[in-house]
Amino acid sequence: MKYDVVVVGGGPAGTVTGRFAAESGAKVLIVERRNEIGVPILCGEGVSRKIDEWGMLQGKRWIASNMEGARIFSPNGTMVKLSAEMAGNETGYVVYRDIFDQELARQAVKAGVKILMNTNAIGLLKEKDKIIGVKVRQFDDEFEIEADIVVGTDGVESKVGQWAGIDTRLDPKDLETCCQYTLTNIECKEAYCDFYLGNKIAPGGYVWVFPKGKDIANVGIGVLGNLSEAGMPKKLLDEFIENNPGLKNGTPIRFLAGAVPVAKPVETVRDNLILVGDSARQVDPITGGGLTHCLEAGKIAGETIGRAVEQQQFDKETLSSYEICWKEAFGKKLKRNYMVKEIFLGFDDKTLNMLADSLKDMKFDEISTFALVKALVLKHPTLLMKLRPLMKISTDA
Amino acid sequence: MGKPKALVNKNMCLACGGCISVCPQDALLMFGGKALVKEEKCISCAICIRICPIGAISGRDVTNEI
Repeated sequence: MKYDVVVVGGGPAGTVTGRFAAESGAKVLIVERRNEIGVPILCGEGVSRKIDEWGMLQGKRWIASNMEGARIFSPNGTMVKLSAEMAGNETGYVVYRDIFDQELARQAVKAGVKILMNTNAIGLLKEKDKIIGVKVRQFDDEFEIEADIVVGTDGVESKVGQWAGIDTRLDPKDLETCCQYTLTNIECKEAYCDFYLGNKIAPGGYVWVFPKGKDIANVGIGVLGNLSEAGMPKKLLDEFIENNPGLKNGTPIRFLAGAVPVAKPVETVRDNLILVGDSARQVDPITGGGLTHCLEAGKIAGETIGRAVEQQQFDKETLSSYEICWKEAFGKKLKRNYMVKEIFLGFDDKTLNMLADSLKDMKFDEISTFALVKALVLKHPTLLMKLRPLMKISTDA
Repeated sequence: MGKPKALVNKNMCLACGGCISVCPQDALLMFGGKALVKEEKCISCAICIRICPIGAISGRDVTNEI
């Protein structure tokens, strides 16, 4: 059976792309190697309320809790409080990612998408050099699925891009290596997503505590790959919990690992091929947040595919409107934040403490570059030198 | 004497995919819900060993095996 589109990977990027392609009239098949959509969860489970505007999810079962904002703690414990609007992508809702993913899949199926579970893509199907589908394995059977467009939504470890000649390999300095507990029997007094920074706490990353209820939270860590060692994230997370009075009596009811690309975006379009989501490195390099991007990009990809199917044109040029549109939507932000990440990595704990001390009393509803500079000059003039490259980026942007 | 090749402890692996994404040789893949090293492709660089968040990958000294 031939499809217009075969999507490799049934995460949010895949199901949203599939849904909007189907709604635009395309015949879509998603292949998913796991035996349950959304499981295992590989995520901190925080997402911006921006997703409300898109109306892609129905009901409220996927919401664990509503957050008022974020609190960032510097190495010496100085707190900077941000409202949800200021905190950006990772606060708003704390979600149950398994239910979240399954709800998106349900919407895709409602739009006419077919999903093949337990089916592992093992290569691209080609005619001479032209991509004409994928080869898959389902249990002991191997077979071919023909399609005009292959969509790679196969996550951080993407193979689809590599099979098409796009170099998606990550340098360890462009990967956050993560693990997380769901910790119960703790006290979450306030509805804030907490982030803990420090070169001893989480080198090149952070520890997060995202409350999912009054006595339960997703508590995790990300460490930058080139600063990590075998098993270091788990060791540091255990130490953090042990040393935190509010967490140390908690009991884990779930332990998971994760890997987050914090790289420059890659090429996302080839003849007959599109990449969306983590496979396309559509992740904010500062926060590691990717959910909003993959939903936004998925919608654009799906609509682009719909037009391509209508015109029966599947070449790179036709599909390029996807790349142009997602770069317009959030590509510039990702590029800028990659540069900011590089600068931040140079900050020692002392600098992070000074920065937090300068920002702790600011009201972030009236933030401006001028107000920021004023606060820094008044409190810690030496910071200005270190922040100069950041200022340059913000004026350029 | 060869350097140790990477070996995934299947009982520990949580399938995050980090090792696969950083392997310079494309020597790892997800198989049956766990990461798996294709031994013939592994060049013993140990990048995957260092990247694993939970220490589920170790070096296996091939010279000690028959």
